Amino acid sequence: MTTTDSMPTPTPASAPPEPVRSARALARARKRQSAARFWREYRRHKGGMWGLAGLILIALVALAAPQLVGADSESVTEASGGALESPSGEFPLGTDQFGRSVLALLVWGARVSLTVGLLAAFLCVAIGTVVGIVAGHFRGWYSTVLMRVTDWFLVMPTLVLAVALASVMDRSLWTIIIAIGVTTWPTTARLVRAQTLAVESRPYIERARALGGGHGHVMLRHVLPNVMPLVLAQTTLAISGAILSEATLAFLGLGDPTITSWGSMLQDARAAGAVSAGDWWYLAPPGIAIALVALAFTLCGRAIESVLNPKLGVAR
Amino acid sequence: MVVRVPPSSAPPRSRLRVLLASGAAALALAAGSVVPGMPLGAAPQQAQAADSGGKTDKTLTVAVAQSVDSLSPFLAQKLLSTSVSRLMYDFLTNYDAKDNHAIPGLATKWEPSADKLTWTYTIRADSKWSDGQQATAEDAAWTFNKIMDDEAAAQANGSFVTNFKKVTAPSPTKLVIELKEPQATMAALDVPIVPKHVWEKVGDFSKFNNDTKFPVVGNGPFILTDYKVDQYVKLKANKDFWRGAPKFDELVFKTYKDQDAAVAALRKGEVSFVAGSPALTPAQANSLKGDKNIKVNEGPGRRFYALATNPGARTKDGKKFGNGNKALLDKRVRQALFLSIDRESIIDKVFQGHAVEGKGYIPPRFSAYAWEPSASQKLAYDPDKAAQLLDQAGYKLKGDQRVGKDGKPLDLRILCHATDPNDKAVGKYLKEWWGKLGIGLKVDCLDDVSVPWYAGEYDLAFDGWSVNPDPDFVLGIHTCAALPTKAKASAATDNFICDKSYDELYKKQLAEYDPAKRAELVGQMQSWLYDSGYMNVMAYPNAVEAYRTDQIKSITTMPEAAGNIYGQDGYWSWWSAVPASSGGDSDSDSSGSSTGVIIGIVVAVVVLAGGGFLISRRRRTTADDRE
Amino acid sequence: MTADSTPALVQQADAATDGPPAGPSAARGPRARNTKAYLQYVAAKIAGAVVSLFAVLVTSFFLFRLIPSDPVKQMTGGRPVSAEQLESLRHQLGLDQPMWQQFTSYIGDALTGDFGASFAYHAPVMDKIVEKLPATLLLTGTAYVLYSLIGIWLGTRTAWRNGSAGDRFNTALALTLYSVPSFWLGLLLIIVFSVGVGPIPGMFPTGGMTSGDTSGFGYVIDVAHHMVLPVITLVAVGYAQTLLVMRSSLLDEMGSDYLTTARAKGLRDDVVRRKHAVPNAMLPTFTLMFVNLGHVVAGQILVETVFSWPGLGSLFYQGLSTPDLPLVQGLFFVFATAVILANTLADVLYPLLDPRVGR
Repeated sequence: MTTTDSMPTPTPASAPPEPVRSARALARARKRQSAARFWREYRRHKGGMWGLAGLILIALVALAAPQLVGADSESVTEASGGALESPSGEFPLGTDQFGRSVLALLVWGARVSLTVGLLAAFLCVAIGTVVGIVAGHFRGWYSTVLMRVTDWFLVMPTLVLAVALASVMDRSLWTIIIAIGVTTWPTTARLVRAQTLAVESRPYIERARALGGGHGHVMLRHVLPNVMPLVLAQTTLAISGAILSEATLAFLGLGDPTITSWGSMLQDARAAGAVSAGDWWYLAPPGIAIALVALAFTLCGRAIESVLNPKLGVAR
Repeated sequence: MVVRVPPSSAPPRSRLRVLLASGAAALALAAGSVVPGMPLGAAPQQAQAADSGGKTDKTLTVAVAQSVDSLSPFLAQKLLSTSVSRLMYDFLTNYDAKDNHAIPGLATKWEPSADKLTWTYTIRADSKWSDGQQATAEDAAWTFNKIMDDEAAAQANGSFVTNFKKVTAPSPTKLVIELKEPQATMAALDVPIVPKHVWEKVGDFSKFNNDTKFPVVGNGPFILTDYKVDQYVKLKANKDFWRGAPKFDELVFKTYKDQDAAVAALRKGEVSFVAGSPALTPAQANSLKGDKNIKVNEGPGRRFYALATNPGARTKDGKKFGNGNKALLDKRVRQALFLSIDRESIIDKVFQGHAVEGKGYIPPRFSAYAWEPSASQKLAYDPDKAAQLLDQAGYKLKGDQRVGKDGKPLDLRILCHATDPNDKAVGKYLKEWWGKLGIGLKVDCLDDVSVPWYAGEYDLAFDGWSVNPDPDFVLGIHTCAALPTKAKASAATDNFICDKSYDELYKKQLAEYDPAKRAELVGQMQSWLYDSGYMNVMAYPNAVEAYRTDQIKSITTMPEAAGNIYGQDGYWSWWSAVPASSGGDSDSDSSGSSTGVIIGIVVAVVVLAGGGFLISRRRRTTADDRE
Repeated sequence: MTADSTPALVQQADAATDGPPAGPSAARGPRARNTKAYLQYVAAKIAGAVVSLFAVLVTSFFLFRLIPSDPVKQMTGGRPVSAEQLESLRHQLGLDQPMWQQFTSYIGDALTGDFGASFAYHAPVMDKIVEKLPATLLLTGTAYVLYSLIGIWLGTRTAWRNGSAGDRFNTALALTLYSVPSFWLGLLLIIVFSVGVGPIPGMFPTGGMTSGDTSGFGYVIDVAHHMVLPVITLVAVGYAQTLLVMRSSLLDEMGSDYLTTARAKGLRDDVVRRKHAVPNAMLPTFTLMFVNLGHVVAGQILVETVFSWPGLGSLFYQGLSTPDLPLVQGLFFVFATAVILANTLADVLYPLLDPRVGR
């Protein structure tokens, strides 16, 4: 994995003399090399490639929403279809109870679901990384307290806590983001702490400290870069989980009612009685979309993990 | 590294495990799919006529979305619980199914004294409690006195007795109620009368839920026989009921928290009636309309659905609080808001035709008191006029937004009930219509709207009440007396409306014992409300319910011409329901069960075969691996 | 509910954080030292659990009081109620006391097992919980047993046949089902198998636990009939995690030297797998299973809501809307207690099963 070394490595004596590059240039070159190596390894995982392809496709669809389905397809007063029509030429996925095209809602909902998923995952990983590094770096009292708090969060049934939090705050996207971020960071914290402990036991850390590196230096320049790959893997998996959580909370009615997301589409469908009426076109697509996006992120995350830890199911 | 080797046990457990698991699953599936037609478990819900014409158990099963909060009429708040109370205990008076006027219940006659302060009721002699004892005026007096004296017993119906001075029963058939002030609602006392000889033994009324001894002693058309929390309430017909025994032998209210589950149960014949909460959704109603053996009952509803505007929250002493938008204090702004609501669109798109456009405060089905604005008074949909009014009020369009004289844009908040999909839907439309006018709208959907509401921290809100045949309650919530005593405390007031002329009319109608004159006063009150712009009725949602015609032959709605079945002011529907005579159990049901059996058996075979195949494959591969 | 992070890395973290307990007197001899160290370890874990329980108790009080809601107004909503009645109701429910007083009486009562009376049901909270507990246990317990068994079995198979078509298919299927929202799967199952789509008739009930008036064996069959769809939903989404954990830990194990030795000794493949690799690889799965066991009681709010299953999960969700403070406080405490107990049990039993830890 990448290691950041602040001291330049001398060029081998046997080779013809090369221009001595600066430490920073060397570090950059090394980083480029390891990135390229990472990418080569990653390419070997078919699942990961499929996941990446799916992600790119979904991102494109979400970004191109206005061009694809029209900017006013979420408007109820402009809706042109009848209520809960089954799929037809004009409405490939039928209409919702207001006459809007379900396909259009699905595309627009992608933006919300992805945004919430990404932001919630970043929040979760950010908190987890900070807590994990601090808990792993500082021993004794700080560590114990932080780990106690982490453990306490871990025993909370996450959905229960998220639902309670979302009920306390007012209904908006930020509520969902905060609720998810605050309830899922502990797992990341534990992993990061373990990794921090492992990194800090390496000799060069001792060397850095002996040379006068303070807490901040060690944590930021040494631990953090080494923890980043793990954090990256965690982030992609966290996004997958966050998208599912957003759908769950929206389905339970805790999301912003004026915003269309995949979870809220499912809730609207259920409230309109689509289950009794057998309107599968309204109920199936949002769930399939959620599953596909979550799956894509999971595949990517697992591929990244496999690259980091080659013992996991290599033969592909 | 020490390796622990578990002691080698006998045969490959996993193979056996798989076989057992698949066998069990298949058995469950097959057995499960046989249930609908299984004679083993009694299939009670069907009103099945015996083939040989013997005595049959006719059961009416009603799917309800609520569960009972308490079976004690002193504590019950929910509609299901109060409906069950209506069936168990008789009230002093009842309401006529045709036109809601008061008719005899436990009381056969009622008369006010000349000074309007004493009411004398004649209690009938032919009403018996189900344990044989006679129901007398003493029971009625005891019930009212209990509510008056014991705080714990006043939880549900305390509001009915606040004006009572003294209640006595000078003879078993005479009940005398003395009032502090005249009260015209004495023929609308919706208080269940309970048997004194049973209830005087109860200790703490706040903890007693009337669910310890079955059957529960009562004198209504049905007797409560069984109750399982969150699951069902069972009642049997009271053959000695003075108005006549119900035609169904048994009445069961089953809780289905999920509406779709209730509709599916109706289709399968597991229940006879689905109430909807509060009504079936248009999609459900449409999908049921096509089913044979199912009739969708639609009738004018008893609720009004309105837009409330904040008149400025204040206490009884006049102290103002809250942060309602000052723009709404201008009547022109309020009217502009209402003028730009296309009510026809709402009826069409949100309710999909299952509602009637709103007119007066009291829904038209209460014909005695309903009122309509005159042609000149009416605020019909007119967005241009709305724009004009806003301009006049000083809110001119600046670009896309309306800006007040102080330069601030006109942005409003509206409170919506998170559990009501209609609120959410209408909120979407309002946002767009008012957006075109240049007014910003933030829709706040909350589980509990009462907190910001009573804090006065709202501009607009979705409001609605279920109205009773006597409109006293829904009128009283807009009087100054209903205002809170302390700022932000919850109170009886609905929307902080307080107006002297309205209050005077209210006082007059409460003391007016002549029905025609009273109706006139109530009409004037509604006219005031309409003009004020504080309570703008958008629609009256219809009652949409469904029942199986192969189980229920006929049933009385209320109003009889067209109305609702569940949640009536009275027991007409369940009491009058006639079971379908032909044994009626749907062929679809039996064929459904036989299809179920076939499919279950097929699945079981597939699972077993698959399991066997997998196991045999495994054995082969393992053999390959053997050296 | 959420897709937790990769099980494999969690196991690494667990190994790093739950280090071996500090061993005191080495001089007393190996056996005595181990037992004493173990007992100290157990004591420490139990003490930690008690602290966590108390923290949960405190949290449950404050968390739900943050919900901006007036229970009294919610309970009497739609009924003619005067301000005096509202005040008396508030007084009855103890809501007019200052917060610190409510807190101390809550803690005091909770320590004796009294969580008060539910606002909505007028009955003691503990009674209601005990009443609904069997329904939840039946549903989630059955699903738990099934998905644990299936997950372990399939995880073992796919790891051993790593790279084969079967492995790839099973892993892909598990990953897909892992990504599917459980409530959506439930809704689809309801549409297809309860309501019926096209030629498929509705075979299973749409929800609830029983259809009615059955008793004895008929009742058992009726409940089983209602359980099929929710259990399928839970198992479909749950077995994936167990499978993935089992698979990854077994793959980890398979690279070990001792297995090569065993095969070199001439032991058959499946014997090697069954007697050596699997038991050792079971340890991380075992941790996961205990974690999941805790969540059995925590109730599946989603599945119970979608299928109207009258268990603790749907009770909690309904209680939140009022909010029925005593009820949700009590339920929250019960849920967290179950998870804490299961985790503590896992921590306590793990050293007994894994000789590498704690020696």
